[in-house]
Amino acid sequence: MVGRAPEEPASGAPAPPSPRRGGARTGVFQGRQRAAMYFSMLPGAAIYLVLGIVPSAATAIISLTNYTGVPGIPANFVGIQNYVQAFTIEWPGVAHSIIDTLMFASAVTVVQNVLALLVAEMLRRRVPGVAFFRALIFLPAVLGVTVIGLLWALIFNPSGGPAANFLRLFHVSTAFFGSNTWALPLVIFVQIWSSLGFTVLVYLSGMNAVPVELFEVAQLDGGSAWNIFRFVTFPMIAPSVTVDVLLAAVGSLNVYDLIYVLTDGLYHTNTLGMFMFNSAFQGSGNLGFGATLSMMLFTITLAVALPLQRYLRKREARIL
Amino acid sequence: MSHRTPMAGAMAASLVLTFGGVGALAFRPAASSQTVKVITWVNPPAVTILKKINAEFHHKYPNIRVIFQTAANRAGPYATLESTSIRGNTVDIMGTGPIQPLPPHPSVNNESNEQLWATHGLYLRLNNQPWVKQFMPNINRTETYQGKLLGLVTGTYTQGVFYNKVMFAKYHLSVPHTYRAFIALCQNLKRHGVTPLFDGLQNVGPGYLGFIYEPLMQEVWRPHVPGANLNRALSTGQTTWTSPYFIKIMQREKTIMRYLEPNFQGVPWQSMPGDFADGKAAMLLDGSWDLAAVHTANPKMKVGFFPLPGSNQAKYNVPMVGGDLTWVVLAHGPNHAAAFKWLNFFSSPKIYQQYVDYVGITPSRIGGTYHSFAKNVLGKWFGKGVNSAVVFPDLPASGPYWDQSSNWPKLQLDVYLGKYTPKQVAHMYQQNWPQVIR
Repeated sequence: MVGRAPEEPASGAPAPPSPRRGGARTGVFQGRQRAAMYFSMLPGAAIYLVLGIVPSAATAIISLTNYTGVPGIPANFVGIQNYVQAFTIEWPGVAHSIIDTLMFASAVTVVQNVLALLVAEMLRRRVPGVAFFRALIFLPAVLGVTVIGLLWALIFNPSGGPAANFLRLFHVSTAFFGSNTWALPLVIFVQIWSSLGFTVLVYLSGMNAVPVELFEVAQLDGGSAWNIFRFVTFPMIAPSVTVDVLLAAVGSLNVYDLIYVLTDGLYHTNTLGMFMFNSAFQGSGNLGFGATLSMMLFTITLAVALPLQRYLRKREARIL
Repeated sequence: MSHRTPMAGAMAASLVLTFGGVGALAFRPAASSQTVKVITWVNPPAVTILKKINAEFHHKYPNIRVIFQTAANRAGPYATLESTSIRGNTVDIMGTGPIQPLPPHPSVNNESNEQLWATHGLYLRLNNQPWVKQFMPNINRTETYQGKLLGLVTGTYTQGVFYNKVMFAKYHLSVPHTYRAFIALCQNLKRHGVTPLFDGLQNVGPGYLGFIYEPLMQEVWRPHVPGANLNRALSTGQTTWTSPYFIKIMQREKTIMRYLEPNFQGVPWQSMPGDFADGKAAMLLDGSWDLAAVHTANPKMKVGFFPLPGSNQAKYNVPMVGGDLTWVVLAHGPNHAAAFKWLNFFSSPKIYQQYVDYVGITPSRIGGTYHSFAKNVLGKWFGKGVNSAVVFPDLPASGPYWDQSSNWPKLQLDVYLGKYTPKQVAHMYQQNWPQVIR
């Protein structure tokens, strides 16, 4: 409808005030109002510039130095030496980290979204007790990462924890977060558990926005529950799918905090985010190399997120 | 209401939020009293007694409040706390380890973080402090760089094997003096359905396998290198990681690890003393710093000690000792005067005795009488043994991946898990080692 001239009332009376009056190009605000609008945006833009753009640019610059952040130790420009280091003497660690990151991110993105869709579909129905289950599913989202880490470390303590005691009934035992085999799947599980509530919430809001008539028509046409979900619900919540998939993918590519409290990056859980944190702040205190890993992570995130976003947007446009 | 009123209101609110926020950050209330901030890693007995000492310090100096912060453990979160404290200017006294021996040619590429900070002037010189002469000169030397004493080494720890005397008596076992006897002892215990050894790697990582590989290196390899100083021999290239002695060490380490409790990688290191006190294993691989926690968990427990026998020649099997918690005053700390007062207070005879008796370390202060549980347990080995400084090199924090301090132990676990053979691991360490020691 944009650009089309408003229709004149049949009576010939003056047209009601139109939000587009004055031309589509000028928008709602004009003149001083427009200036005031931009002026009001300044504090937000300044904060974004200082806390978002400047640190990002600084990270790119620091990755070309041997900066440690330690007073008294000069920082020198070293060119691409940190990048060369990442692909030579640090490569065993970097290669493992990239693999760990991709495994973690793909598992979290797929499983979290599939599970969230199933849960949202169940919680969409207006049945007794549904509010309680909605709150229960969302509960982990309000817990801090440290609390979550402590909670699951206790549950998966191989020396007398509830999970170990349960497995003992079947004569099975494992080191859980200390196992090369199980640490990564368990960290993925905890990540999904902690984020599921928010993902479900987004899907639920999408489902609630679908006109009820569509479901009624589908039911009248004799559609099964699966077919209604497949041909009505899922296509109609395409924007929610875009949001949830992108958030899960980008969030899990960059994760380090949960891994830090659960395994500290040991036992095949050393994602690039974790490796970067340890390089910059914990082990070597080498901010230059940490920034290099950060730039690598940024590149991988872009390489995954941009095509994914383009695909999901096209899918939305095709469906809706 | 006109359009201007809400617009002007929003603008005013934005400006207030922006500049008011900045102003609030810049505002500092006038200090009515002083503070001294002390940080250290979590060692439960040490933390308990330090809290008491801090309270006594505040009682003596009511105008100085001690802000005490801890993080567990030295390989993990505490390393982060150290790093951020060094970069900031809010900490006065930091707990570290002794800096010596430094690499032959100290540089950013081969020093540990703590060595790097010490050699770059981030610790204050303490030579003129009143307590210095009361502490053993040989211990002070482990924290001295270019004639500058940079810290107070609180004492010396001993590491080895702590055993449950009642269990040993029950199965008629005696203290082993050779590697062969030790393995036979472990097999014997296993036959009786008893877990022979206990060690926990959760939250600390394979670095805690050091209770096995460090004594083995000391007993099997060190006697055969020039000057019996393995650290120096490795750091100068007189010996290499591909030495047949090191291969033998990793083979023996793998054998010993078979007698650890099931799933030891997932057992939290914090629970080791409690689990041992609870009778979950006959022996605990640990340092004397945990003895106080064992005693607290089970005051009636009768505990004995012997060095982990890695060699079949008993004369080489002696415990490892090393410098324990070392206090340094940060050059960028806000209150040097209060920091000096705190160190002086800590090192006074009565307070220091409290600390040593509670923590169980071997004292570094000259004279005094000490009565710790650890002293009774360690017996003739109290403070005696080979210093870790002549055994294991201080690995760099960055550089070749497998030679970094945080990554080196991972391969030791991989040998046990069968991912690599000892020979492969030896080559992985040696591959870029010349780059570390050049």
